[in-house]
Amino acid sequence: MHKPYIQRQRADWWLRNPAYRRYMLREATALPLFLYTLLLMSGLFQFTRGEAAFLQWLEMLRSPWLLALHGLALAAALFHAVTWIALVPKILVIDTDRLRVSPAAVKLAHQVGAVVCNAGLLLLAVLLLRAAAGN
Amino acid sequence: MRRSHEPVAWSLFGAGGMLLAFIGPGLVLTTALLPWLAADDPQATHAAIGALLAHPLGKLLVLACVALPLFHTLHRIYHGLHDLHLPAPRLPLQLLCYGGATLLSAVTGWWLLQV
Amino acid sequence: MTETVTVRVQRYRPEEDTAPWEQSFEVPYSEDLSILDALNQIKDQQDPTLSHRWSCRMAICGSCGVMVNNEPKLSCKTFLRDYREQAAVTVRALDNFPIERDLVSDISGFIDHLETVQPWLIRSEEQPVSAGAYPQTPEQMQRYAAFSQCINCGLCYAACPQFGRDPAFLGPGALALAQRYNLDSRDEGAAQRMQWLNAGEGVWSCTFVGYCSEVCPKDVDPAAAINRGKVASDINYAVNLLNILRGKDDA
Ligand code: SF4
Ligand code: FES
Repeated sequence: MHKPYIQRQRADWWLRNPAYRRYMLREATALPLFLYTLLLMSGLFQFTRGEAAFLQWLEMLRSPWLLALHGLALAAALFHAVTWIALVPKILVIDTDRLRVSPAAVKLAHQVGAVVCNAGLLLLAVLLLRAAAGN
Repeated sequence: MRRSHEPVAWSLFGAGGMLLAFIGPGLVLTTALLPWLAADDPQATHAAIGALLAHPLGKLLVLACVALPLFHTLHRIYHGLHDLHLPAPRLPLQLLCYGGATLLSAVTGWWLLQV
Repeated sequence: MTETVTVRVQRYRPEEDTAPWEQSFEVPYSEDLSILDALNQIKDQQDPTLSHRWSCRMAICGSCGVMVNNEPKLSCKTFLRDYREQAAVTVRALDNFPIERDLVSDISGFIDHLETVQPWLIRSEEQPVSAGAYPQTPEQMQRYAAFSQCINCGLCYAACPQFGRDPAFLGPGALALAQRYNLDSRDEGAAQRMQWLNAGEGVWSCTFVGYCSEVCPKDVDPAAAINRGKVASDINYAVNLLNILRGKDDA
């Protein structure tokens, strides 16, 4: 008698294993980052409307809601950066007859690059705004 | 089996993911602190951002910082909704996510040309 | 009195059952008892109607895959001593495959996908046997060596939610094998295999969950193979687009 039992995936499959929960958390970083991108767009839009509108937007950034969004987006961006760079050496494989770079070196280069770029951006912004205010 | 057009979405998703890993946390921290960094002289901050947006390279940079994260995040949201068994056919969902990312990017480009 | 452990085994008897159910057994415990030993103890001493698969008992034939406490495992390579803190050990048939009976899965979907990707050396022109073997340096072999360790156990398919969602997805094992041949310096079949990678059912069903690589008993890292396949397919897509723009045929 041939009557196989067909197992169908349940909608809550991702709750049933820690590896799947981690995966979903990684994918969920997209939500706060998407909202954050919309916030950036709103800033640009207010900028097109003139100085007064932009300064109002700037003041609005102090609201607890937007600070909370920033906090969430920061956590998401950090989690994204760590999980993203962990996977880079699996995709970017440099292994030819002329050039061979170990996966560990590829990962390290990306980690160092990300720290330098993120810190550099923040530092640059602070210094530039200070200089602008000083003039 | 037919060729998939996923490479288009995946390339943009990948570019956005790389950009977010390299400047995401720094950018979020910068805008989080912006009202305080600008507190001394908000007009100067406005002028500094204006200088950035006036330069073609600055425009391109800002466009990349908006458009690529849009494609990155909406790609993940699209696949995430499918993973969650959202009972919707794929095509309208694709139109919504990738069409939305395209539209919002175009709007951003338009605004950048206004300043 | 000897110490025993509770092993909960999933049963499915197509003649009587409409859905799988769970049966508890007490198995005498010892340090070196594998899950497979426990299943054999049950079948030999307690219930001869239990059905499960095994052959080599040494993690090489790939036939003894089951879910142990919700994780895909080779039962011969998994030991009861590692589950001592848990109240019980639950053994089920592999996820995502049809259940034939008890712990026996029908993995033919996976085997069909393996054949699809043409997993053999493809040459544009076969060289006669008299010409000898196709030479290869150790460095060239190293490029695909990990991907060639697969024992076709199907654990990665039980771990893959995208295969669970859509069994048409070629899946981790088959795509790792495609990559294994595409990276082999003696092979000239990458262009032929590209059509399978390029499809929605090919590499593009993968969302890099990565659990397949975690559960693989042979460290094949199928997730890495698939995602390197995405890069290849991405480039292939761009080249094809350029060719279309230059008036050549859509491939
Ligand atoms: S890739 Fe690993 S888990 Fe998948 S079938 Fe091969 S040996 Fe098993
Ligand atoms: S019995 Fe052969 S792999 Fe377990």
